[in-house]
Amino acid sequence: MIQEEGSNLLDLQEFDEEAFRAESEELLETRYLTKENAVFSRTAGGFAALAFDGRRWERVYVYRMFPLSDPERFLSIREADEKAKEIGIVENLADFPKEQADILHEQLNLRYFTPVIEKILDVKDEYGHAYFHVQTNFGVCRFTTRMGGDAVTSLSDRRVMFTDLDGNRYEIPDIYKLTAAERKKLDLFI
Amino acid sequence: MKLLYDLPPQQKSLLNLAPGEAVEYAVPLDLTYDSEAHLTGGTYAGKGDSWIVVSEQRLWILEKCEVKKEILLSDCAEIRCEPQIYSGILTVTYRQKNERAHAAEIEPNSPGWPESETVEPDFTADPSSKAAGPESVSGSSTERNSESKPGEKAETDPAENKKECLARFSMREMVRVSYVARGANLYAQGEHGKVVSQENETYCEKCGRALPGTSVCPYCSGKTVMFRKFWNLCDGYQFKLMLISCLTVIVSVINVLMPVVQQRFIDRALTDGSGTLTDVLIFAGTLFGMLALAILVESLRYWFCVTMGADLSMTLRQKLYYKIQTLSLSFINVRKPGELMNRVTGDTTQIRQFMIDVFGDMVGTLATMAASLVMMFVLDVKMTLLSLAMVLAVVLITRIFWHHIHSIFHRQWLKNDTMRNGLSDIISGIRIVKAFGKEKEESERFRKLADDFAAVNKKNETFWAVFFPLLTFLLGFGTYIAIYFGGISILQGDMTTGQLVQFITYTGYLYGPLSWMTHLPREVMQMLTSTNRIYDVLDQPSAIRDSERAKNFPIQGDVAFQDVTFGYHSYEPVLNHISFEAKRGEMIGLVGASGTGKSTVINLLMRLYDADDGSITIDGTDIRDIAGDCLHGQIGVVLQENFLFSGSILSNIRFAKPDATMQEVIRAAKAANAHDFICRTPDGYDTYVGESGYSLSGGERQRIAIARAILNDPKLLILDEATASLDTESEYMIQQAMERLTDGRTTIAIAHRLSTLRNATRLVVLDDHRVAECGTHEELMEKQGIYYKLVMAQLAMAGGETIDPQIFDTQSMTM
Repeated sequence: MIQEEGSNLLDLQEFDEEAFRAESEELLETRYLTKENAVFSRTAGGFAALAFDGRRWERVYVYRMFPLSDPERFLSIREADEKAKEIGIVENLADFPKEQADILHEQLNLRYFTPVIEKILDVKDEYGHAYFHVQTNFGVCRFTTRMGGDAVTSLSDRRVMFTDLDGNRYEIPDIYKLTAAERKKLDLFI
Repeated sequence: MKLLYDLPPQQKSLLNLAPGEAVEYAVPLDLTYDSEAHLTGGTYAGKGDSWIVVSEQRLWILEKCEVKKEILLSDCAEIRCEPQIYSGILTVTYRQKNERAHAAEIEPNSPGWPESETVEPDFTADPSSKAAGPESVSGSSTERNSESKPGEKAETDPAENKKECLARFSMREMVRVSYVARGANLYAQGEHGKVVSQENETYCEKCGRALPGTSVCPYCSGKTVMFRKFWNLCDGYQFKLMLISCLTVIVSVINVLMPVVQQRFIDRALTDGSGTLTDVLIFAGTLFGMLALAILVESLRYWFCVTMGADLSMTLRQKLYYKIQTLSLSFINVRKPGELMNRVTGDTTQIRQFMIDVFGDMVGTLATMAASLVMMFVLDVKMTLLSLAMVLAVVLITRIFWHHIHSIFHRQWLKNDTMRNGLSDIISGIRIVKAFGKEKEESERFRKLADDFAAVNKKNETFWAVFFPLLTFLLGFGTYIAIYFGGISILQGDMTTGQLVQFITYTGYLYGPLSWMTHLPREVMQMLTSTNRIYDVLDQPSAIRDSERAKNFPIQGDVAFQDVTFGYHSYEPVLNHISFEAKRGEMIGLVGASGTGKSTVINLLMRLYDADDGSITIDGTDIRDIAGDCLHGQIGVVLQENFLFSGSILSNIRFAKPDATMQEVIRAAKAANAHDFICRTPDGYDTYVGESGYSLSGGERQRIAIARAILNDPKLLILDEATASLDTESEYMIQQAMERLTDGRTTIAIAHRLSTLRNATRLVVLDDHRVAECGTHEELMEKQGIYYKLVMAQLAMAGGETIDPQIFDTQSMTM
């Protein structure tokens, strides 16, 4: 009699209990990458390669662990495939030689895109959508959000994030740094 | 979604298209990326500067007036759109040198581009592989390239870095680029298929406004077109509309006549004191009669409007509902689940509301206003013009005020929302809050939210208290003017008292509804948007339609899949060249990991979708040539998620054949092992199931579903995970039912639990969207392939120890 076994069972091309156990133990371990044990290098294709623990990865993903609260520290370095298994953690970018820190910075710039709104030029609301015209650190741009509650996330009393119809995000780090007139245009949202 | 934009001519000229080479895809990029230095740029451009362009042979990245990157698709193993965080990148994986040579051999004639323009990726310029490579076209251009950039090749090795980032874009272009990447990929594989996107654009190309989920922009499609569509929607109700219009005119006429009567009475009976009691009586009587008539006609009209609105929205709902039933699942799948439901309920309600508000109130008011205006002009041109000027001012002022009101109350609503969320957070998490001893902090947090809300609320109410009297004052302006100038006119003898009263009454007609007349444009726009969204569905062609040759015949049960290829999106095939057959009475088990396309096979067989390529036949007839009713009437389906409709068990079993006799129902229920438990319920077969009905266990629901499937004795039975997620006993009961069920019918079954398929004549193992193995249980066990591994894994999990695979044969599998 075969018992009920859970649906992921068929995903068993590499079913091997030992390997599975080893893998889960590996997941539990926290490994920190430091300038002593890890070397990042730039690939010709525009990605970051890593040599660590006697192994070499031709491309690694660089994730921020705290993209909003501490973007410059605690980076998770991961294998560049669908599973994106963690190789190790970079606690502080500044600990690495500048050249390598630059490489990681490039990867972060490639991965993360959240323009910072510097100036509100115009906000128009029309039939359920809001049309923004703003100056960001990526230049002047326009974007559209829904008028409902899901378009705005307040990260704190001052910090606000807008999500547009496409799923792009725009940040205002401090609404009190905007002029009173600009804040007034945002009246409907904050 | 548009995948081929028109390139500006100067950018198009950069491409140097060879004769016969055409741009197949061109989509804009909105983030700059330096693909030479591989650095992200700092501009989030609007549109029109950067592009990804693809022809059958090449892919270009254009930036401003420059070709940033140009690659040969025959050199590429894979082109991918990789999602990043709120952005995406386009990457390419190049073929290894030897693979490339191979690719060049396959398509010797394809390269027709000017060689000198071709920029080759640097790492291919490795001297060793170059020496080994044949003198193909790409080889020669590589050579040239290696000469031009000798410095960069030194440390690179062909095995590494074969992946390159080409471009970067925001979420706005994500979907588009992923389609194009898929399209380019097809060319890179040497295929010629073209990818099309059925998704709608998010924004109107002309006006830039967000589209309400439709393919046409309600603002740009022209109001006359939209009004005509609205008129078409009212098809069958034109007579009623005419009637309503007539009644509207009558009401307006009465409204306008009443002040005339008033004026006569004042001027002829009151001012000169010559009036008698009879005059007063006649006046009162006339006025009363007119008023009564007006009210009567008005209510009649309103009643017509309301019933017509309700009828209209009901007809629309039905039309939409029937339409949605005939639409292909692909249309339904690209839309969010709630969206279509919203169109059926929300948009039709919108139209009804419009009928009531606009035809019921506004049109009548407008007509009265217009008639009043005419009368006013007759009375005194100068005063009328002055009043009109004031009307404009008042409209302007109220509009601004309303805008402000809207915004402050929207804020209040937002705050209220935050407060409620906070409250529901605390209440639903109360156990955690208490367990961690955080009552004080949480109370503090909520107090702050409540304070915020109270503050906004107080402010708004104060504003309202000031604003409302002000508004009333403004609306009275017309009257003040009339009294002032009218009084002067009377003193000068240009006007009688009665006329002044009459004029003032008309002014009231004119000003009274002004404040809410400002809503009219919004109301009309909402109606047009709803009309648009309704037509978006109604205009959709039914994708799966019976062909001319469609015929009805009794199915015997020979099923064959011949080289079937299919994908829900054109860029993502789920089934690749699938072939297998099931003879009459056979049971075919479909086995494979999740996501390999097992359920898709079944969807195709049920003809929920049409195959992109290849054919599916039943008894030698292509299923596209079998009438839909005939096909579905003869297939029995049991799915994993068995949905029971609200109603009795009886009506659920009878779903496929509403005229089935009781005997037939009982027979089906018995065969499905359902009869017993049904009889044990208090209401037997009449037990009400569905929402808030009698709660059935998973196994019981499943058995009712099985009874439903076999009621009309189908020759073809489809079981999709019919026994998954059931307890052992239910499974045993269902197993038994199944055995009876599959007897003498062609059965296609999917099961995770391989023991369910122990009776299968043949097993088809799907892997990587293809048929990986096919054969009987014994054959596949002997082969020790994927199926063998699956069986062993299930055994290991079940027993926790190694079991001789022989135990898993058909004889010893009895439960």
